[in-house]
Amino acid sequence: MSITKDFIVEELKKQIAGFTASAETKTVGTVTEVGDGIARVSGLSDVMMSEMLEFKVADKAQALGGSGADKIYGVALNLEEDSVGAVILGDFGRIKEGDEVAATRKILEVPVGESVVGRVINPLGEALDGQGRIETDKFYPIEKIAPGVITRQSVTQPVQTGVKAIDAMIPIGRGQRELIIGDRQIGKTAIAIDTIINQKGENMKCIYVAIGQKESKIAGIVKKLEEAGAMEYTTVVLAGASDPASLLYVAPYAGTAMAEYFLDKGEDVLIIYDDLSKHAVAYREISLLLRRPPGREAYPGDVFYLHSRLLERSCRLNKDYGGGSITALPIIETQAGDVSAYIPTNVISITDGQIYLEPDLFYQGNRPAVNAGLSVSRVGSAAQIKAMKKVAGKMRLEAAQYRELAAFAQFGSDLDAETRAKLERGKRLMEIFKQDQYAPLSVALQVMTFYALINGFMDDVPVENIRTFEAGLQKYALADGKEIVEAINKTGALDEAMEGKMKELIVDYKNSL
Amino acid sequence: MKITARQFAEGLYGSLEERKQGEVNETIKRFAGIIVASGQAGKAEKIIAEFVKIWNRKKGIAVAEIASARKLDRETVKLLDGHIAKLTGAEKIELTEKIDESLLGGAVIRYGDKVADGSLKAKLKNLKEVLVK
Repeated sequence: MSITKDFIVEELKKQIAGFTASAETKTVGTVTEVGDGIARVSGLSDVMMSEMLEFKVADKAQALGGSGADKIYGVALNLEEDSVGAVILGDFGRIKEGDEVAATRKILEVPVGESVVGRVINPLGEALDGQGRIETDKFYPIEKIAPGVITRQSVTQPVQTGVKAIDAMIPIGRGQRELIIGDRQIGKTAIAIDTIINQKGENMKCIYVAIGQKESKIAGIVKKLEEAGAMEYTTVVLAGASDPASLLYVAPYAGTAMAEYFLDKGEDVLIIYDDLSKHAVAYREISLLLRRPPGREAYPGDVFYLHSRLLERSCRLNKDYGGGSITALPIIETQAGDVSAYIPTNVISITDGQIYLEPDLFYQGNRPAVNAGLSVSRVGSAAQIKAMKKVAGKMRLEAAQYRELAAFAQFGSDLDAETRAKLERGKRLMEIFKQDQYAPLSVALQVMTFYALINGFMDDVPVENIRTFEAGLQKYALADGKEIVEAINKTGALDEAMEGKMKELIVDYKNSL
Repeated sequence: MKITARQFAEGLYGSLEERKQGEVNETIKRFAGIIVASGQAGKAEKIIAEFVKIWNRKKGIAVAEIASARKLDRETVKLLDGHIAKLTGAEKIELTEKIDESLLGGAVIRYGDKVADGSLKAKLKNLKEVLVK
């Protein structure tokens, strides 16, 4: 131990010397009303909107414990003539009427930096994973105006989700906002988690914001991410189902603030909001308690702004501003497939496209249950690599047409040869799009699989054997066609020479069967 | 329309402004009559509080409180009085003094909804926070 008495004394002297004249003036108020996570405070004359407030709690048990929990923070949300309405971030049961509240002159902020990576934290940046506190000296405000027009650039680079159906039909680019929408228990989170797992080695930081999720589910997800080695670049921001609505409300903004730190450094970030319907419900709860007038479905009037200001912060910045990006995958849970409810339509109109998951498809065994007709990516093929564009160009259309044709063909028995061929191809296409959970596939292997399909190499394989054929082909390619796989992964292009080689490889594989 | 406590208080202040000492009693009596007649007697406390606020604001009076660990001497109080007057811009300060031994030393000044904490207790606490970090 190198700590000496003199050192301590010196340090103390230094610290104390810096503490001579610090009787700063604070604005204070008193709590006049508490309940259900909100407080009404009188006084606090020049408090700012969404300013952090400090509730001083005179709780002896806590104070003696010395855990520093003699303060509870809140956020001012309603500024009225002679009172301030605030949400309490924490245990509101300990705040009493008459308690002192001090303004902090700061907008609510969260710790950001490299030290949050690989951690599970709550929306205030406090560790939940038992690995000690987050060591950082950087803080970002949770609310920030989104980057303006001149700082932005259109989306050009892909985010490889590793899910065949999505990468082929509904490509997602860096800086895009793609909604994942569907009923409960249908694989929305699974797509998001697969996407995170597939970002290994892609220079992508991932932030998973869990809003109102069961803690057991999150524990499972974190374990899966750890197993896949994905926690090395992932942060989990957790506001669980038992946390107060105020924390649920803050969570996505806090996650975005952490993402913005990496954006400012010119890095690419993927952020997942799971899910925004629960976020809207939490905000509705807060708004109703603060006596804001309810509107449609009892949501407050600014529920659209709630999500639009959040999702606008996802962007792709141009070179002059660092060239970083935030890609957002918000998730919305629908009730009985109703996409025309209030919150789903709002978020659909804000995002650059949606991945619609359908119960019928799911129960037929088509998993992931992506509905090709209703899913779109408004940024589209600008974000696909050339090789993928070449093989997957018309796939979305074909998949959508197949489903209609299949429904129609149920009635008639004698079909012309062309229709039959289309149906056969469609069946194989649907089979190809089936994929197991936690098994994302690299682009090159996806390209090879699609190439084999559209060039008729799978036409003579029985439909029920397609998946074994596909798995075999991928294994064969990794063993015997390594240079092709590596070339596609590296250049992203599929020139004629490469095409020839690939054709050869597939024929070889078929002969080896 | 519902009349708020503040509106009552403003009304009372307005009607008292131009009166002489003798007339004041009469005005107050009538005002109390109106409140009771309109069924607002329950608001009396609030109206009084509002009235004091309005009175202080119009007359340039600031209410302040000094809490200290030991009784302060005249000189210090006068100094603090002048300081508060400068901070608030008020012409007159209504000062109350309070002894709070838990402050250990220094003083805490309160005026309006502002607090300037110059106590030894707060300084020690700040110091602790910095050192613990």
